[in-house]
Amino acid sequence: MKWYDRITQIDRRIIYLLLTLFIILPLFIPFKIPQNVMPQTQQLFDFVDSIPPGDEVVLLALDYTPQTAPECHPMAIALLKHCFARKVPVIGVSFDPQGPGLAVEAITSVIREVNENARTREDSVIYGTDCVYLGWKSGRVAALLQMGESVPQVFPVDYYGTPIDSLPLMLRVGNYKDVAIAINIASAAYPDDWIRYPQSRYGVKVGAGLTAVMAPKYYPFVQTGQLSGMMSGMKGAAEYEHLIVKHGYTDDSGTAETGMNSQSMIHILIIVFIVLGNIGYFFSRRGVKQ
Amino acid sequence: MNLTPDPWIWIAAFLTLMIFSFLYKDNPFYKFAEHLFVGVANGYYIALYWHNTLRPNLYDPLSAGNFIYFVPLLLGLMYFTRFIPRIGWLVRIPIGFMIGWGAGISIPAYFQADLLKQLQGTIVTPNSFLNPLEGIWAVIILIGVVCTLIYFYFSKEHTGILKPTARLGIIFIMIGFGASFGYTVMARVSLLIGRIQFLLGPWLGLIE
Amino acid sequence: MKRTIPLAICLIMGVVMMIQFFIPHPISLEFNSTILNWIIVLFAFALVLAIGNLIRHHSIKIRKRKHDWPYSIVTLTSMAAMAIIGLFWGIEADSLFQRIYLNIFAPLSATMFALLAYYMASAAYRAFRARSLEATLLLAAAFIVMVGFMPFGQYISPRLPAFAEWIMRYPNMAAQRGIIIGVAFGAIATALKIILGIERSWLGGKE
Repeated sequence: MKWYDRITQIDRRIIYLLLTLFIILPLFIPFKIPQNVMPQTQQLFDFVDSIPPGDEVVLLALDYTPQTAPECHPMAIALLKHCFARKVPVIGVSFDPQGPGLAVEAITSVIREVNENARTREDSVIYGTDCVYLGWKSGRVAALLQMGESVPQVFPVDYYGTPIDSLPLMLRVGNYKDVAIAINIASAAYPDDWIRYPQSRYGVKVGAGLTAVMAPKYYPFVQTGQLSGMMSGMKGAAEYEHLIVKHGYTDDSGTAETGMNSQSMIHILIIVFIVLGNIGYFFSRRGVKQ
Repeated sequence: MNLTPDPWIWIAAFLTLMIFSFLYKDNPFYKFAEHLFVGVANGYYIALYWHNTLRPNLYDPLSAGNFIYFVPLLLGLMYFTRFIPRIGWLVRIPIGFMIGWGAGISIPAYFQADLLKQLQGTIVTPNSFLNPLEGIWAVIILIGVVCTLIYFYFSKEHTGILKPTARLGIIFIMIGFGASFGYTVMARVSLLIGRIQFLLGPWLGLIE
Repeated sequence: MKRTIPLAICLIMGVVMMIQFFIPHPISLEFNSTILNWIIVLFAFALVLAIGNLIRHHSIKIRKRKHDWPYSIVTLTSMAAMAIIGLFWGIEADSLFQRIYLNIFAPLSATMFALLAYYMASAAYRAFRARSLEATLLLAAAFIVMVGFMPFGQYISPRLPAFAEWIMRYPNMAAQRGIIIGVAFGAIATALKIILGIERSWLGGKE
């Protein structure tokens, strides 16, 4: 077998092994490369950063699944930390049935963390007053449209079954008029529906946290202003984590930023594999011609 | 190494390894984990659907005497006529209701969000050239959008002027798909990083 | 009757929903609101149907002792257990239901997807060849994005991240927008065909 044939036939088990090693090693040798923040992540951060505290709410649609949690969960955590640090109330909702478990985990863990470090009531987050998780609803598009008329019609109770009128935050949130921005963290094309329905009909500002697979499709919506910023994949999450640390809202960076080192290594590895495959292909084709 | 004493994390770790065993080849451990997943997922949906939709949005209003909700109940039950051949056609009523509704609301929504706004964003005006460089990029976008649309226009054979424009369209599409591939690598690798972070961190206690 | 009534319902719903979009009158809004409440519930019934099908499929497999039937017992028992735990012991943040979600459901689902990373790397190595101009462009764009968006990209060339961003914002965006507009035309045409009864495949069956 010629050398160029050999480099196109590396055993898949070797590829798997190298891939695993290239992920593991950077996790043991932590090094920090500064994040270059993409404009659309900065735009989303700036938007949330400019919401006046305590008035309008951020509607966080947590529609990501365990499959995409490494990309989307850090986005949710970073956004919650940002909003809570700025005293901007948050209402969580989900329309993907796989979402609520992770949404509950994100919200309860951030509230716990904030309250552990809080010294006064002002510093702490109280469920029902500063944050509510309304839970999941079927019929996403219908629910999105109905929330424009009346949120309690769609969510008479929160995720835990508490009547919505007994939650102080919900007494002042009737529909989208009270929402500064709806940010959809999603693992499927759900932000399309946020743009098509609540935004087209009720003029809601929409932001997005997307898996990297989906991100290229949403650039046109950022350009038209239909999206007021977006985070793309683990990189977007790492950028947002970086921004909230940089602005002093928290002092620990999250899981996305540490994952980015492995991500960099893997990208190099995959490029090397593709180049090897192409060198082999190029020379074997030349060999055939000769 | 600082192994966790938490039995739940041990369960999660073993299930993770069972799925990874598929990389070697299909085996009973993988099959068990796969079937467990389907079962647990559907059990999860049943409880969620009841607590989060069927109870608050159907059962509670009906119990409170809001009898208009008998309509969606009746329509919903019609789905099950599918299993009774004699009246099986009744399932078409809720389906007709739903897809008629979906089609009706989608027309103005698509028109506004995906057509008008996107076309607006593509139009090049003298204002686009206030910053000359931005003006050039705006022209590139315009050319790219038009050529991509022409490439997907199959009602007429791609000859004459359509041939080079469609060819330019495919070039834009390939750059777009290449960029998407780059992003897809990022996405897929992220998921694997997540699982490995879990095994090395919460389970084995090797990393923070 | 078996086809006309569903087609008529579809037509009426389609036309009424389209019109109400443009009429913000209180009666129209009230009507719309009622319909939306119904639709939310109706979507939930679709899942009940799917669960029914799943139970039927696995029961038949067990009864007829089909290939791999013991695994069907795993599916059915775990489904019943999870449903009972959730229905009777609640779904709170500290419930058993949530624990099972986080430690069984989530890792299984996440790991199945994580396998894709291996297959993708292996497939990219084997199939990603610069065979033509189009394939070369695809490859080049992929490389620039993969390198440019990683934190180390700026060390290779300080202009690389900006170039990757340029690709995303202009050529990529133009192609994506062309596709979005094309899909929108298609979606509107299909919706009209459904409402007008030209597209009837959803009726299924012959009668």
